Amino acid sequence: MSTYLTRFTLRQRVEHVLVMSLFIVLSVTGLPQKYFDAAWARWFIDLTGGIDHIRWFHRAAGLSFSALTAWHLMFAIGSIAAGRSPLSIVPNRKDFDDAIQMMRYYLGRIDQPAQFDRYDYRQKFEYWGLVLGAVVVISTGLILYFPILFTRFFPGELIPAAKVAHSNEGLMAFLVVILWHIYNAHLNPDVFPFDRSIFTGKISLERMHHEHPLELARLKQIQDIEEP
Amino acid sequence: MLSTLLLLLTLSSQPGQSATGKTADVEACLACHGDRGLAVKLPSGETRSLYVDLATYRGSVHGNKIGCADCHQDMTSVPHEARPFKTLREFTVAYYEQCKRCHFDNYTKTLDSVHYQALARGDRTAPLCVDCHGAHDVKSPQKPKTQVSRTCAKCHEGVFTVYNKSVHGRFLEKSDDVPGCTDCHRSHDVAGPRDANWQRRTPELCRGCHENKPLMEKYGLSTAVAQTYVADFHGMTASLHETDTGREVSVVALCTDCHGVHDIAKVNEPGSRVLRANLVKTCARCHTGATENFPGAWMSHYEPSWKKAPLVYGVQLFYNILIPFMISGLVLQMLLHFWRVVVNR
Repeated sequence: MSTYLTRFTLRQRVEHVLVMSLFIVLSVTGLPQKYFDAAWARWFIDLTGGIDHIRWFHRAAGLSFSALTAWHLMFAIGSIAAGRSPLSIVPNRKDFDDAIQMMRYYLGRIDQPAQFDRYDYRQKFEYWGLVLGAVVVISTGLILYFPILFTRFFPGELIPAAKVAHSNEGLMAFLVVILWHIYNAHLNPDVFPFDRSIFTGKISLERMHHEHPLELARLKQIQDIEEP
Repeated sequence: MLSTLLLLLTLSSQPGQSATGKTADVEACLACHGDRGLAVKLPSGETRSLYVDLATYRGSVHGNKIGCADCHQDMTSVPHEARPFKTLREFTVAYYEQCKRCHFDNYTKTLDSVHYQALARGDRTAPLCVDCHGAHDVKSPQKPKTQVSRTCAKCHEGVFTVYNKSVHGRFLEKSDDVPGCTDCHRSHDVAGPRDANWQRRTPELCRGCHENKPLMEKYGLSTAVAQTYVADFHGMTASLHETDTGREVSVVALCTDCHGVHDIAKVNEPGSRVLRANLVKTCARCHTGATENFPGAWMSHYEPSWKKAPLVYGVQLFYNILIPFMISGLVLQMLLHFWRVVVNR
C-alpha cells in the first residue's frame, strides 16, 4: 500500500472535467463542419438533426468554453496578483535544458533522464498549447459569430481569415490532444494504463519519486512525508 | 374540288408513303369543317369557330401522323351530339387529357407543375397543353429556341420584360447558349418560384452552365464560381440543405439572392447588385446592420491567394506548415520515448 499525496485541488479537477467535456462536444460538432463534404460528416450531421442544430450546439459549447477559459485566467491572474501562485506552470530555462537532456537520454547519449519539478516540460507544453489555442479559437470563434460587429472596426477579410484560423486551430488542438493525451495519460509506461490523478487529485509517493523528484524534495522540507 | 386538293396535298407531303386510314379521315371531317363560316355560339355568348385550315394542320407535327378522331374521340356520330360546354374555356379544359394517350410521360410531368397546381385549385385560366403548344398547328417547340420564352411571355409578360434586359435575356435572340425560361423552370413539370424543392437546387441549376468549361471560356467567365461558393459559409449551408424536403427553404444566400433572378446582370455593369458600390445594400438584405467593410468578408468567388486575400492565404499557409510540424514532432517524441523504454528493459 503506497502513500498518496494531493496533487490537484478540487477546483483544478472540476476544471479538467469541464474542459474535457466541452472539448469533446466542440470537436464532435466542429470537425463535421470542417469536413462537411465527406460522407461520414454528412451522416453525422443528418444524425444530429441537421447543420443548424450542430451549429447551435457548437456555439453553445463554445460560449461555455469561453466562460470557463475566462474564469480560469481570472483566477490565475488573481492568485498571481495576491502572491499566492507558485508560478510552477510557467516555462523557464530548465524546461529547455530538460527537453534537450531527455532527447539525449532517449537517443542513448546519456544514462540519466532529467529530474522534474511539479510540471515537466511536456505538461507545460500541453497547458500553454491549450491556453494559446483557446485564445485563438475563442477570438476567431467570436469573430465568426458576430461578423457584422467586427467588420465595423476591422476589414472584411478578417472574417474568412478567422474561419481558416478557427478550423485549422481546432483540427490541430484535436490532433495534439488525441496524440499527446493518449501518450502522456495512457500509454506512457509510468502511468499505463490510465493516469487517474487529474480525476482523484491524488498521486502515489512512488510516482512522485519517479516523475517529480524535485517537487517531492521541496515538499519534504515544508511538511512531514512518511516514506513507507 | 376540295377533296382532290386534299388528296394531292397528302400525297405531296408524304412522298413514298400512302396516307393511312387515320389521316384519311381528315378528308371526311373537312367536308364540313373546311367551311370558314362553320361556328357554334356558346351560352356564355362566345363564338367558337369550327373551321380547320387544312394547310395549317398538315404543316403541324401531327399533320401526316394522326387524324381528327385520334384527338376528337367522342365525335362518333354525324351530326355530333350536343356538347354541354357553357364557355370556350370549359371546352378546352375538357380536351386537356387527349394528349396523354400518346404523350404520357410529358403529361405525367405536368401533374407536378405549378400550372397543374393552379388548375387543381380550380383556376380555369391555368395553361393546358394546347395553350403553349397550339392545337391544330402544333409545332416543334424548340424551333427556334426563343419561341419557348415568347410562349411563356404570352402570360408572364412582366417577368419576360425584366428577363429581356438581363445578361441572359439580352443574348437570347443571338445565341442558344443563354438560358431561356424552361432551362431553369423546366418545361412540363414547370417549377413555381415558391417551390421549395426547386429553390434549394438553385446552385445546382446555375452550375449546369457555369461549370461548363468550353461554354464559360467562350465568354471569359470563371468555372470556379460554384466550388468557391460551396467552400464558403453560404454554399456550405446550401449544399447541406439541398436534400431537404420541407416546404420552408432555410435562410441562406443562394446564387439568385445576390445576383438577382430574372434581372441577373453582368457583375461589372452599373445595375449589378454585386457591384462593389451596391454590395453593402445586397448583403444588408439578410445581414441587417452590415456596414462598408462587411462585404469584404466574402471573397467574391476568388480562391485565396497572395494577390486576393493575402491574410487568408497567409493564415492557411501558416497552418499548412505548423500542423504537420507539430504532429510529426509529437510522434517523434513518443517513438523515442518508447524506444528508450524497450532498450532499458
